[in-house]
Amino acid sequence: MAEDLVLDTAIRDWVLIPLSVVMVLIGVLRHIVSKLLRSSQTPDIKIVREGQVMLRARNLRAAANFIPSKAFRARKLYYCNEENGLLFVPKGQATNPQAQMFSDPNMAMDMMKKNLSMIIPQTLTFAWVNFFFSGFVAAKIPFPLTQRFRSMLQNGIDLSTVDVSYVSSRSWYFLNLFGLRGLFSLILGEENAVDDTQRMMQMGGGFGFDPSKGLSVEKDNLDITQHDWALPNFEHHAEDVLKRVIS
Amino acid sequence: MVTKTEESELKNLEIQVDNGGGGAWEYLSLVRKLKVRRSDKVLKHGLSILNDSKLRSKLGADEWTLYEQVAVAAMDCQCLDVAQDCTKALRKRFSESKRVGRLEAMLLEAKGSWEEAEKAYSSLLEDNPLDQIIHKRRVAMAKAQGNISGAIEWLNKYLEIFMADHDAWRELAEIYTSLQMYKQAAFCYEEVILAQPTVPLYHLAYADVLYTIGGLENVQTAKKYYASTIDLTGGKNTRALFGICLCTSAIAQLTKGKNKEDKEGSQLQSLAAKALERDYKQRAPDKLPQLTTALKSLTLSS
Repeated sequence: MAEDLVLDTAIRDWVLIPLSVVMVLIGVLRHIVSKLLRSSQTPDIKIVREGQVMLRARNLRAAANFIPSKAFRARKLYYCNEENGLLFVPKGQATNPQAQMFSDPNMAMDMMKKNLSMIIPQTLTFAWVNFFFSGFVAAKIPFPLTQRFRSMLQNGIDLSTVDVSYVSSRSWYFLNLFGLRGLFSLILGEENAVDDTQRMMQMGGGFGFDPSKGLSVEKDNLDITQHDWALPNFEHHAEDVLKRVIS
Repeated sequence: MVTKTEESELKNLEIQVDNGGGGAWEYLSLVRKLKVRRSDKVLKHGLSILNDSKLRSKLGADEWTLYEQVAVAAMDCQCLDVAQDCTKALRKRFSESKRVGRLEAMLLEAKGSWEEAEKAYSSLLEDNPLDQIIHKRRVAMAKAQGNISGAIEWLNKYLEIFMADHDAWRELAEIYTSLQMYKQAAFCYEEVILAQPTVPLYHLAYADVLYTIGGLENVQTAKKYYASTIDLTGGKNTRALFGICLCTSAIAQLTKGKNKEDKEGSQLQSLAAKALERDYKQRAPDKLPQLTTALKSLTLSS
């Protein structure tokens, strides 16, 4: 039965708008606090070096066709040599980034700080929303939904006959959580500390920068690369260019 | 590398500021962003902003960046007292700053007190071994003192860590070329080409080095790189055109005994010769007879 509920405009004034405003303010506050608390990261010399090696190897792969084949082969050997090649990481020594992260106290502190700065405001805001804004219908979603979403979106509303499109304020909170990211990147610039969703995706996909795996990946890629010298084609092109210039 | 639009924007701003229009701060910011070396203009316009207390207070926190920029420009123009004043002001504001320490060490270097500057740089590097600018200053100092082998040593150490820095490879290549260590120079130029394969300048330099090393294979490779330079510059590079002619005649000389089919080569050479003649006719017509005799001698000797 689809009945049309008329929602009090007071709900809009006192629930939806204040909730959004509060979330924006909390986001700005978090951004400022994280800027103040940010400790300067001194990058380890080994990690920098590995990063540079990877860059150089990648350049080699990308532009391999521009240097003579002898030079390419010499470099390939230099990188992939089994004993002392640049990209070769013996199996035992592969620096496990996870272990490294937990053993290095600075990094652990940083991760903890980042996690805390993300989790605590979210938890607090969620609890506040639940406490104050539960038990009533807050908004109507413009498109129809199936019954499965009832438990997710209508949490405080204990009437089973209400259309699923009428949601509680908890879902408005979640909507804001994901939607305000765009607004924050406008206000605070690109790299802001409020980009939770990005960080959540990063945490889900493993620990970001992975030096040891990166090196062996590069080595495999370089092993595969074939050298196809592009310079002879350039000679032909040059002839055409000159013909055009002279004519 | 600076793009064409940025270059034209820079020129416009420069003209505007030189002729008394406003926009000095935008000009300085653009110079800082593009990292071009316009020390005399930076010094003049930067000082004009800094000496005017109204303009200075308008800058707010950027004032200190301007101090740093003007200090470096002053050192480049050898106005050491200006540089010293700027550095002192920065030191007063940021007493515990490595960046200011770096400026002070650069000031020592500009004054010519090499050992003190060396000591200052080493101590700064101990605190922060990953500061690229200090590494490069050390190399520059060695080069300025005439200690080329020391410069090579420092530069190699720098490149062991930061091996993706193509500017450093280029500097190393030029140093090696000046010392006539052509094989090493060729290696460095290969690195630079790998990093930026579409810049014709590096192809040209690499071709020059290969041609100088000599030997049939190298000269053939050099010819190919001169051709690629021509391709990348649309036929406008005179040096590459000459390079083609020289390479072709050198190859012909080296393969005199063997019967090598070189039909393609001669076509390229004749095309290059024609393009050269056309170019000279347009730009330096009085030198044209010299060119024609030189080209004739090249083709005759082959």
